[in-house]
Amino acid sequence: MTALHDVALVVATVTLVYFTALNLVYLAFTGVAWRSLNRHLRARGHAPDEEVFSSPVTPPVSVLVPAYDEEPTIVDSVHSLLALRYPEHEVIVVNDGSRDRTLERLRDAFDLVPVRKALRVVVPTAPIRGVYVSRRHRHLWVVDKENGGKADALNAGVNASRYPYVLAIDADAILEEDSLLRVVRPVVAEPDVVVATGGIVRIANGCRVDRGRVVDVRLPKSRLATLQVLEYFRAFLIGRVGWSRMNALLIVSGAFGLFRRSLVEEVGGYSSDTVGEDIELVVRLHRHLRERDEPYRIEFVPDPVCWTEAPETFRQLSRQRRRWHRGLGETLWRHRRLAANGRYGALGTAAVPYFLFFEFLGPLVEVLGLPAILVWWLLGDLSGVFVAAFLVVAMLLGVVLSLAALTLEEHSFRRHRDGRDVVRLIGFSVVENVGYRQIVSFWRFLAFFDLVRRRGDWGEMRRKGFTTVAEAPLPR
Amino acid sequence: MLEALGIAALTLAALSAGFLIALVARRGALAREERRRSELEARLRPLALALVAGDDVELPELEADERAMLAEAIGRLSRRVTGDARRRVAAYFAGTTPFDAELRALRDRRAWRRATAAYRLGDMACGDATPALLDALADSDADVRAAAARSLGRLGAGEASGALVEALVASSVPRAIAFRAILDVGPDALRDVRRLAADPDPALRAAAVELLGWLGDASDDALLIDAVDDPSAEVRARAAAALGRLASADGAEALTRALDDRVYFVRLHAARALGHVGERDAVPRLLRQAREDRFESARAAADAVARVDPDALLEAAASSDAGPHLHEAADLLRV
Amino acid sequence: MSVSHSPPLVLVADDDPDILDLVRYRLERSGYAVATASDGAEAVRLAGELGPALAVVDVMMPSLNGFEVTRRLREAPETARIPVILLTAKAQEADVQQGFDAGADDYIRKPFSPRELSARVQAVLGRR
Repeated sequence: MTALHDVALVVATVTLVYFTALNLVYLAFTGVAWRSLNRHLRARGHAPDEEVFSSPVTPPVSVLVPAYDEEPTIVDSVHSLLALRYPEHEVIVVNDGSRDRTLERLRDAFDLVPVRKALRVVVPTAPIRGVYVSRRHRHLWVVDKENGGKADALNAGVNASRYPYVLAIDADAILEEDSLLRVVRPVVAEPDVVVATGGIVRIANGCRVDRGRVVDVRLPKSRLATLQVLEYFRAFLIGRVGWSRMNALLIVSGAFGLFRRSLVEEVGGYSSDTVGEDIELVVRLHRHLRERDEPYRIEFVPDPVCWTEAPETFRQLSRQRRRWHRGLGETLWRHRRLAANGRYGALGTAAVPYFLFFEFLGPLVEVLGLPAILVWWLLGDLSGVFVAAFLVVAMLLGVVLSLAALTLEEHSFRRHRDGRDVVRLIGFSVVENVGYRQIVSFWRFLAFFDLVRRRGDWGEMRRKGFTTVAEAPLPR
Repeated sequence: MLEALGIAALTLAALSAGFLIALVARRGALAREERRRSELEARLRPLALALVAGDDVELPELEADERAMLAEAIGRLSRRVTGDARRRVAAYFAGTTPFDAELRALRDRRAWRRATAAYRLGDMACGDATPALLDALADSDADVRAAAARSLGRLGAGEASGALVEALVASSVPRAIAFRAILDVGPDALRDVRRLAADPDPALRAAAVELLGWLGDASDDALLIDAVDDPSAEVRARAAAALGRLASADGAEALTRALDDRVYFVRLHAARALGHVGERDAVPRLLRQAREDRFESARAAADAVARVDPDALLEAAASSDAGPHLHEAADLLRV
Repeated sequence: MSVSHSPPLVLVADDDPDILDLVRYRLERSGYAVATASDGAEAVRLAGELGPALAVVDVMMPSLNGFEVTRRLREAPETARIPVILLTAKAQEADVQQGFDAGADDYIRKPFSPRELSARVQAVLGRR
């Protein structure tokens, strides 16, 4: 009995300390985000996107669209990509061995003709079956290849791209007209230093979409999706702004990320043997550049750039979160030498340890810690009042963070026009902390077992990797 | 312990309430503000359009906030126009309160306010602001410097060209903005830029040569042709690009020689430039580059032949050793 | 016999609403009727439907740029004779040449002077 008692004590204390530390970090990030967003908002008054659009030194960009079984939406998607406001860009759709009629749809809609395109072979990929250009839109290319997964498709896109920068997006991501202009700004400002950028990803469920553009921002009807809206606010407005300031941004969303092409080639392109290919590439880029002691920055642009479809069923959501957590784990393991390594600056001393202890191991602590506290209480060592108070504080912390994110959003972008949506979000800020977060933690906890069982379902996961949004993990 | 938790709970509850209040209040305030602004703008925009687009307008008596809104509307439109329209805008703003207010705000202790002021002064088109903006070009804050540079460009202030070129070279202002500002200043900056093309520092020469590609004219051909033989590869490459942008027929010979440069990006830019210049004599040499050179410069050569002599390209692409770039260029021609 | 003229129709295409407003204001004051389009595809369509006397087209529009619009107008018999003035921020020799190659009649740099634009419109229409 005593042994159990002691164990419960230890675990509970660890949980408490851990939890407090995490939320203090979060509150600190919130403060950083507040100041940073303010500055950014003011800057918009005196540096509008117009100037990037008409500047002669704005670099041309190749937009890479890996597509697997995207028949219903691919044509609309491509139309909206071709219509992006940008001085010069090309769109490269990589058909990754779709089993449906994705390629046929493209061929019909855009009058594709085969071309013997010269492809770089810096990064090897699955065999290419053919390359097409659109007769109507000379800047639209389609690379048809055998299935190889998203990373492989992106690498094929890199091999086919003409321009010095590549924008890797999800085929079902919905962009804003000025998305490219916004995400390119840091590069235009400092082309020798900024090597990659990402922006804010929003949830499209519930929004009205017309010809590939979001025309009316509304909250989803689905409760699960609404909860994710809040989660994304927190993750993007609070987490990423802070890390970007420290030049330790690990996560440039797989749904929308801009990279200097030559660098991607230099590090060997996207890696096919992880489910978190987006976050893994970014970490590898950081590592490569820091090892070479080259001044560089990977920046987060706090402007909305991209809308994605969030899973609305428990099943889909759990699969997505398990996958993300696995990707995080695989990346952290592969680059474990960065942890607590001063040689890698803030990346090594802050970002990697943070993601390891708080993001990655977090679910472990949460799933095991909570029961431990309950056990402690049941054993009579702890008053029910104390446990209740602890749980209330835990919940309030979560609520405060969600409200902070919501306030930041209202203060800055105000995309949600309808006041009722905001009220609903406030309500969900509370609801989120009594159940949703815990469930998500549980799924991430299950990811640990997936990691161990890796070899089993690997192939299938990879091929199906497109069907859920390939976003990188969100902070809790 | 329990007390600590209690205090924590209360603080957090207070914070929550605080955020909630902030949310509601701010939303209400912003909504009101927006309604007011759109109403004002709807009323004042026709006036702004009339003034900028070229009529002599009888300006009615305006309240302070109306004047501010009008100033903003005119400022936005002024970004699109030049010539007589800009002069009219300048005449409107000269000596007015908004103008003076922004001049004063250039010395505000908040950096963002200074930056906004610097930006707006550019929209107001009044040359009187030039000395103050030149000072702001040396501000400690990067955003202020950038806004000042941009506005000096918009004002077309010839006396600022030296300082702007310096800012470009010293990178005290983001390259794109300094570049754009110098282009906006236009011919008045040419003297400074040409002088810079002979500077001992290769970075300065490179910047100057690149600017000449945008600003310069036929009289700069000789300078650029010399620069194609510069010891620095960066200068050579940009000189080649500049000759292409100026579509300089005189430069054809130097560009063809540059196809043999040791450095691949010089060869790349030379090939591209030859495509714009249209030099048929260079085609055999370009075809060779398209077959044998590195990926990027080979492709540039193939593209150049496609522009200059499509028939030669199709013929060359038919042979067995044509290589991937000629094939691609030929296929694209036939599309 | 007096003949009543309806004012000549000018089609203006630009994705920037400020420019559309400025050009429309100036041209209407100068005695033209103005139709506007905010992207290239709309411009080509309206040109076919309305048969304007002249088109002022911005080069840098998303989806279909000004050069493309000009080319398409030249390709279709009902719009082939519509004179085109291109508006653009890009303004070096090579770009100007591209404009004329596509079939444009004149070229105006941005930022522009509305009065000067109006004068050019008059000149081009006068030549026809």
